[in-house]
Amino acid sequence: MIQIGLILLAALFFPGIILRTKSIVSGRRGPGILQPLKDIGVLFRKGSVISQTTSWIFQAAPVIGLAAIMTSLLVIPFANFKALLPFEADFVFFAYLMAIGKFFMIIGALDTGSSFEGMGANREALFSMLVEPAFLILMGTFAMLTGYTSFSAIFSAFHMDGNPYAFIYGLISFYLLVQIAMIENSRMPVDDPKTHLELTMIHEVMILDYSGFDKALIHLATYVKFAVYGSLICSSLVPAGWNTALQAGLFFIIQMVFAIIIGLAESFRGRNKMFRNSQFILTLSAIALLAFVVVLILTQKLIN
Amino acid sequence: MISQFFFIFIAALLVFFIPSRWKGAYTALILTSGILITSIPAIRILATAGALVPAGEWLFSGALPAISIDRLAGFFILIINLTSLTSIFYALGYLRPYSPRINPMRFSIHYFSYFWLWASMILLTVIRDGYAFLVVWEFMTLSSFLLVVFEGDERKTLKTGINYLIQMHIGLLFLMVGFLITGDQAGRTGFDSLSVYFGNHDNLPVFILFFIGFGIKAGFIPIHTWLPQAHPAAPSHVSGLMSGVMIKMGIFGILRVLSAVQSDLLTIGLIILGISLVSGVIGVMMAIVQHDLKRLLAYHSIENIGIIGIGIGLGVIGLAVGNPVMQVLGFTGGLLHVLNHSLFKSVLFFSAGSVYTSTHTRNIESFGGLIKRMPYTAILFLIGSLAICGLPPFNGFISEYLIFSGLFKSLAGLNLYMSIVILSGIIGLALIGGLALFCFTKAFGMVFLGEPRSEAAAKAHEVRPVMLIPQLLSVAAILLIGLAPVLFVRPVMGIAGEVFNFQVPEEISSPVLSNLGSISIIAGIFIALAAGLWVIRKAVTRNRQITMGPTWGCGFTAGDERQQYTASSFADNFAMLANPLLRIKKESDGIEETELFPRQRKFKTHSVDVIKRYLYDIPSDWFLSVLKKIAVMQTGQIQHYILYAFVFMILVFVLTFFNLI
Amino acid sequence: MLNLFITLFAITLFYFSISERFRTYSVLIAVQGILLFGLAFLELKQVNIANFIFIAAETLVFKTFIVPVLLYRIISRTGVYKVHTRAFPSFYILIFTMVGLLVSIILSNVLHAPNVDSVYLAIALFTLFTGVILIVTHKRIFSHMVGFLVIENAVFMFSLAVGSEMPILINVAILLDIFVSVLIIGVMINRVGEHYSDLESENLTRLKH
Repeated sequence: MIQIGLILLAALFFPGIILRTKSIVSGRRGPGILQPLKDIGVLFRKGSVISQTTSWIFQAAPVIGLAAIMTSLLVIPFANFKALLPFEADFVFFAYLMAIGKFFMIIGALDTGSSFEGMGANREALFSMLVEPAFLILMGTFAMLTGYTSFSAIFSAFHMDGNPYAFIYGLISFYLLVQIAMIENSRMPVDDPKTHLELTMIHEVMILDYSGFDKALIHLATYVKFAVYGSLICSSLVPAGWNTALQAGLFFIIQMVFAIIIGLAESFRGRNKMFRNSQFILTLSAIALLAFVVVLILTQKLIN
Repeated sequence: MISQFFFIFIAALLVFFIPSRWKGAYTALILTSGILITSIPAIRILATAGALVPAGEWLFSGALPAISIDRLAGFFILIINLTSLTSIFYALGYLRPYSPRINPMRFSIHYFSYFWLWASMILLTVIRDGYAFLVVWEFMTLSSFLLVVFEGDERKTLKTGINYLIQMHIGLLFLMVGFLITGDQAGRTGFDSLSVYFGNHDNLPVFILFFIGFGIKAGFIPIHTWLPQAHPAAPSHVSGLMSGVMIKMGIFGILRVLSAVQSDLLTIGLIILGISLVSGVIGVMMAIVQHDLKRLLAYHSIENIGIIGIGIGLGVIGLAVGNPVMQVLGFTGGLLHVLNHSLFKSVLFFSAGSVYTSTHTRNIESFGGLIKRMPYTAILFLIGSLAICGLPPFNGFISEYLIFSGLFKSLAGLNLYMSIVILSGIIGLALIGGLALFCFTKAFGMVFLGEPRSEAAAKAHEVRPVMLIPQLLSVAAILLIGLAPVLFVRPVMGIAGEVFNFQVPEEISSPVLSNLGSISIIAGIFIALAAGLWVIRKAVTRNRQITMGPTWGCGFTAGDERQQYTASSFADNFAMLANPLLRIKKESDGIEETELFPRQRKFKTHSVDVIKRYLYDIPSDWFLSVLKKIAVMQTGQIQHYILYAFVFMILVFVLTFFNLI
Repeated sequence: MLNLFITLFAITLFYFSISERFRTYSVLIAVQGILLFGLAFLELKQVNIANFIFIAAETLVFKTFIVPVLLYRIISRTGVYKVHTRAFPSFYILIFTMVGLLVSIILSNVLHAPNVDSVYLAIALFTLFTGVILIVTHKRIFSHMVGFLVIENAVFMFSLAVGSEMPILINVAILLDIFVSVLIIGVMINRVGEHYSDLESENLTRLKH
């Protein structure tokens, strides 16, 4: 129960911290940390304009996206507490829940009959297809190392002991989780959330026709998704045996650091050329394969 | 039981004498009664819980070949019956527009073959004797051929049908050789003598024979080439039936052979897993670039056969290394996917058939906006798409989840080579899931959403209820399996155990069932959350001002439906990545520099089935050219033929003289 | 420490498949030189001072400084900066490299011999495969030379895998190979590069006619 509250709390501040970091790095003062929340509040109060070309799918897509993210909260663990409803291989369920959210966002975008949204839908479908093996190989390495297959069990059993390979593996898995989180949330270097050119957008252009309540739902889903991946990163970094209050504190600190890292990465990196993106995402699978080899050494299957 | 069966056969013959208006309904009637009759023993055998039922129920023994139902047969009988039932009622509506054009004799043949297809599939599941099996297999091929060439006045359909017939006979040849080799002393062949043979001889070569024979029917790559041609050519109710159950007969045969195999299990498991991974990934890659909606669905059938094969291969490897978790989860996932695939694939094919009935084209590029004109078909197709992508809370997720959990749970304990094999399985299955999502967002989006891209799509209207209601039955099953998987997985686990002669231990089955229970609960919560959010949305937006307007065109006022993404453009970035495998050819006229106002132009893309081209077309073309050169010898004059005979006699004489023959 | 070096080495090999500029290749060769020096320093137990100075000179001085600087010179002299003439997705090269990693792991396990260190053998095989993939899949001669250098690094790794000392003979052989290859290709590029600015190997085969 507690992790749902923590994640939702972190989700409230996350986008604000990213925005603030980017502003400070650019030399401005930047909006307040709660500004994105106030924007959502404004959106809730507004009406909307709906395209005549669309059908009920356009209106259902944000609802299903948000419902999928909220449901995935049920399998995320925290500290010593298991998730609310853990079960074996629940990360497969997690990945496919994200997928059904994406499916509806893509067809919601195609529903408008606009070339912009079609372009974004197309790219989103390709990149989410490429990132899926990376995530599952990474979870496979966790499963192979700890012998468990559920998020809760993996993260409570995973800790970096003195073995240097374990430390390297921890580094690689941290890097991979951060990159996968950034790709799933449509951030640099795959997608620039601040670009104004529709030709260069991926996620932003899929939601081009949304306004009002639907747009607020979409933003909410994005923020909660950030916090969910942040909590996964936190679980992988912090060993499960520590004091709960300490873990909660570390949770917020790590989320904040994660947000600042994203802000810094967005300020200093340009977006990849669109067609180099697929190669970039495949590189993640290659690195996950390397992690797999490291775990093979760790579990002494590759006899030393 | 057999006598009732015989009755129905006589009744089916009568369809030739029924007036045309009632032929369809009459066939539906006899088929339904046949379905009821055969389902009863099937349900009975499945319901006997507890210990294994060894030889099954003997329906008839004596002069006729041996027949017995075991639980695998019962499972397959129920799958065949469900899809045949939905298909014949769908056909009542689908075939109605054809009645003025096609003469009644063709209809009678069609319905009669339809009945025989169903009957032969049912018989195949229960026959144990080899020769009888082959005879009924041949009946299945012939009846499906007659069904495929229903619109045989087009030459292309006839050619496709003959291609199908020839390939099936090649498969029959392999099966025949397999059965003959394994015949016992008394000359009896069949599945029972297989176990005896496998006990004493090398398992691998004969297994490969059977695998190729059954694999041609199932549609594994590289022996799949009949599938993408036959399914679009056949009418939609036949495609749904063929794709849903007929190709599973190949899987059924492979399972029967596997239950007799005793050694070489690791090699066999690796072969099955490897071929299935290739089939799954390449099948879905090819599906993405198809223009014909039914061809796209046909390639997806190849992909799903690949997924079933991954499950079965995983199970066999588990048998080989003695890992019961892999065994149980692999076989259960594979078997459940047989059921799941028949359900959602039939829904998809029927919806595609409805779209064809309304618009008279199968080209994806000419659809669009059909969700407003055919709303119920759209919902059915959407549910089918969500299920085939393996998304929760539908049934496809459950079988893919079972296979995934089998793969992940076995990673920890195995040695290096097995870990790498399992990892490739994980990568393959993940790729298949992602690619299927890509393909079906394209298919659903291009066909139903946006603006209509052609006149035909703009004028489409919803089909009659008789074409919609049968699909509801499959949809209900899809939802039931997705939301309450425990009900289905428990019996399927028992079936998997019985086929391979092991008892599923409690410590493996209860965690699986409790996991599935958690999935049910979470899926329920998901649906409740979505419904709740929808209600909140309705309540909040009631007081807000909602206006309708055109889609944001970025300031362009002259936008129309041609500015949308087409199916080829959607598939383009993927096609560029996978070009060596897909060999997309693009043809278009260039634009001259001096042409300031470009005129109308055409653009064509065409994808080549690379495997078909390099494995079949090019060798057969070469072979034909060689034969043409030799055909010079056929002069048509009898003196030359007498000369050939004379030369042959001299040759024989000389060779005998030198003791070479 | 050792493990970090080995992992970083593997990461540089992946980087070879995805980089787009030749300058990155030189930097990667330099990084590999430093890593090899570190590995040699930590691994070789029975070395006398002369041998040690020789190895240090070879890896640190030669591979880390001289060869990359030479490569830089060649790049700027011929003006060839990019790896591929047209925009080319290195998708398939990356897939081949991934398969190469898996194959080298399997091979190293199959060839399990008592006094051979499996991890080193696997990484050495992986380096070998990457070098071969570089040569086979790229069209420009510069990539071929870099692939050759990578294969030389693989030989170095092999000798690390086999024993805990490194005979002078092997080192001299490696050094000679590198020296000759850089010299020949440098000379050839300088001369041929005056005529052909593209440096595709297909153009070179036409030189015969």
